[in-house]
Amino acid sequence: MTTDSKPSMHIDPYERGWIIATIILLIVFAAAITVAGFAMGIQVPAPAGRVNPQTVAQEGQFATPGLRELAPGKYEAYILAQIWRFDPSEITVPAGSEVMFYVTSKDVQHSFSIDGTNVNMQIVPGQISRLGHRFDTPGEYRIVCAEYCGSGHAAMYGKVIVTP
Amino acid sequence: MNEPKKPDETEQFHPKGTILVLILFMLTLIALWGSVYLILLSRGVTV
Repeated sequence: MTTDSKPSMHIDPYERGWIIATIILLIVFAAAITVAGFAMGIQVPAPAGRVNPQTVAQEGQFATPGLRELAPGKYEAYILAQIWRFDPSEITVPAGSEVMFYVTSKDVQHSFSIDGTNVNMQIVPGQISRLGHRFDTPGEYRIVCAEYCGSGHAAMYGKVIVTP
Repeated sequence: MNEPKKPDETEQFHPKGTILVLILFMLTLIALWGSVYLILLSRGVTV
């Protein structure tokens, strides 16, 4: 009689193969995301500060929202989201411009998404969301609210016009 | 009269259909994930 008390673990070869393939896939996906985020510079939006949503439209940068030129080809845009529009709803920059968007809401939760770019931010009352993009190709880039914000949600849009 | 199979013989079963389904699942996952990743890259970097 054998008294082998050592626990033995049997894994079916097919099961082992599936586990290994899954782990490899997860490693590849994680590596691809890491490369995109840190080596290529595709970042998620960052909170840039806090504001009082009840007074944000009367004081500070959002009292006079709009586009400001910091240097040739470098801009910052302060945009106030509210039901159901962006203020301003249209900005124009020359091709090759780098625009940093600062967006907040004075009422409910919105989002700020620019078609054809990776700019896509959740806009929360009381918080300033920040994300930038370099517009190299001339054309019109539609800005949409991708967070359902009420009956006029579908009419909440704007555009970035990039001139040659 | 048939004799019952020995344990060694029953372990030789190869689940070919299941493997095919899992390979298709894996390829679909890679294709969908890869296409979204390429869209992400094609939209350019954020600043």
